[in-house]
Amino acid sequence: MSEAKTIHNAVCTFCGCVCDDIELVVAPEGKSITRAGNACELGRAWFLEHRIEDYPVALVDGKEAGLEEAVDAAARILVEARFPAVYGLSDTTCEAQKEAVAIADFVNGNIDTTTSVCHGPSGMAFQGTGESTASLGEIKNRADFILYWGGNPVEAHPRHFERYSAKAKAAYLPGGRADRTIAMVDVRKTRSASEADIFLQVRPGSDFEVLWALRALVRGKYVDDSIEARTGISLETLQDLVERMKNCQFGVIFFGMGLSMTRGRHFNVSALLALATDLNAFTHFVANPVRGHGNVTGADNVVSWQTGYPFGVNFNRGYPRFNPGEFTTVDVLARGDADALLVIASDPAANFPRRAIEHLKTIPVITLDPKPTRTSQLARVAFTVAAYGINVPGTVYRMDNVALPLRPAFDSPYPCDEEILRAIKERVCELKGIGRREVA
Amino acid sequence: MRLTLHAVPEVPLEAEAICPDMLMGLSADKAAELPVFHGNEKARLGDFFSVQGEARDGTVTVEGDLSKVKLIGNGMSTGRLRIEGDVGAHLGAEMRGGEIVVTGNAGDWVGREMSGGRITIRGDAGHMVGCAVRGVPVGMLGGEIIVHGNAGNEVGHGMRRGLIAIGGDSGDFTGVSMKAGTVVVMGRLGMRPGAGMVRGTLISTQPAELLPTFNYDTTYRPPIIRTILIYLRKLGFTVEDLYLNGPYQRWSGDSIELNKGEILLYAGTRQ
Repeated sequence: MSEAKTIHNAVCTFCGCVCDDIELVVAPEGKSITRAGNACELGRAWFLEHRIEDYPVALVDGKEAGLEEAVDAAARILVEARFPAVYGLSDTTCEAQKEAVAIADFVNGNIDTTTSVCHGPSGMAFQGTGESTASLGEIKNRADFILYWGGNPVEAHPRHFERYSAKAKAAYLPGGRADRTIAMVDVRKTRSASEADIFLQVRPGSDFEVLWALRALVRGKYVDDSIEARTGISLETLQDLVERMKNCQFGVIFFGMGLSMTRGRHFNVSALLALATDLNAFTHFVANPVRGHGNVTGADNVVSWQTGYPFGVNFNRGYPRFNPGEFTTVDVLARGDADALLVIASDPAANFPRRAIEHLKTIPVITLDPKPTRTSQLARVAFTVAAYGINVPGTVYRMDNVALPLRPAFDSPYPCDEEILRAIKERVCELKGIGRREVA
Repeated sequence: MRLTLHAVPEVPLEAEAICPDMLMGLSADKAAELPVFHGNEKARLGDFFSVQGEARDGTVTVEGDLSKVKLIGNGMSTGRLRIEGDVGAHLGAEMRGGEIVVTGNAGDWVGREMSGGRITIRGDAGHMVGCAVRGVPVGMLGGEIIVHGNAGNEVGHGMRRGLIAIGGDSGDFTGVSMKAGTVVVMGRLGMRPGAGMVRGTLISTQPAELLPTFNYDTTYRPPIIRTILIYLRKLGFTVEDLYLNGPYQRWSGDSIELNKGEILLYAGTRQ
């Protein structure tokens, strides 16, 4: 390999935007990327800072181990556990996610994804209220009224504005930004808020009240004027917003974790989804979550497709049961229920509540991650894997549930998540005496 | 019959077997053979509990720290179940009749989707008292849940009939999406009580901040409150006389729905 290689239309898996127009230039030695054209600053860091470093492929009890030995150790931990939990999955391919669900099924364990700590409440709201939705392509081409609620796309999803929403020039909105009305609801004036036409600064913890009042106004129902004292937004301002929403051609509400992870959680999201549904009596209106991790939407899709539920699924009794709060990983750890944990591409030891981490330290943990993490340092078995999107091909889902194939830039000496998970799955089947024919 | 916990489960124990319907008429030895699930492993009731006596009249007493034991009294239709200690999630789920008394605290989902009978918790209850599992719009269909301590969020979510009484405070979204039925909270209601309620009655003796979609109707002395509170007094609640006879504000809502629900808040003097 002496010449620099260029990958056209590569897919960036850093955030849920999953931009598929990246031009990557791979260094002549084939071990790093020197240029990531079209990428935002977050995407550039994701591609350019990726190096093949010299970690052991697997560690068992902190000692270097062969792949086969580590797979066997991991499978034995899972088979011996009475409540093994599988967690993470948002930063890996759908193919690997599928293997993880199979493992949870074969060991009668628990499976949950990082959705439970970001848009899990949205998942509950979709089930309870329903979702009027559209792809980002449709929104780009048609949405003349865009409302962001509890999110900061300029800093968290830098290309969301230009590719999919506010600034995108499109078939039916050739003027781009000039043809669209942008509204923003947040508790503080973010960099995104300063780009909006209308900004509503709500008091922290009053999103539900504002949404509820908007719903009532859309339906022409009673709203008490105490709303201003409670939320910081006057009834007239809300009325004005409602008129604009009712009179647009195609409206969309993008909502972020400012809504799904503040007090009220799934009720906040339910209220927003119901508002979008209510507005369909007047015009076309949709609501879309703005998702964080590159393939967290894929995790929801794969787990739903295989078990019937998007996250927080338990196989203890041999069939899938869904119950957020009971089978979500934070709760399962904080209550001390799980007795083994398989973590794929996530770092719960760095970001879970203290009680959950305390329990995590007392049980055998297996990790799969391209880099050492807090969790991998506590792990009984730690695998080093190739990075998806950069080294590994596969399928990921964009935040609007559109599936995209990855175009990796260069090979990694490490195996991918899918290979390791499949090996663990097969070893689990051997240990449990499940015949080959029964293995899907 | 008396069940005493002798081995604390390491992972959640799902024990639908602890229910008078299952235990009535069984000898102690037969009862010990009933299946339970210890995590993903099938086990015997006797692996965790020592069983004494029989449940001829349907009375079963369970003692020990049962905070990891789920689904006790699941689908119960008759008899009496007394739990001496704390108990885990899904107590009396889908219960149809009989009585459960817990001397300690209870976990989440007490009386989930119950349709009859009475559950009394002397301590605190977790979240989701008398509500449905996710994805089901209708929760409790009948019966009574009496919690002497505090309760968590979403008390009576989607409730259609029955009575829930909380001696202490309740969490956020008390009576959310209620279809009908009665929830009495002697302490404070959490945030956003009665959101999306269609019909039904929420009563509290303490002031509460209501959603902007509730409107004030009147202040009056409804005789039904006196009837309910005297009934709760007989069940062991401490109810001061002023709450029996005092005036209550009536707020109707939720205007987004039918606006036929009511929240009654005590409006008289205190002491």
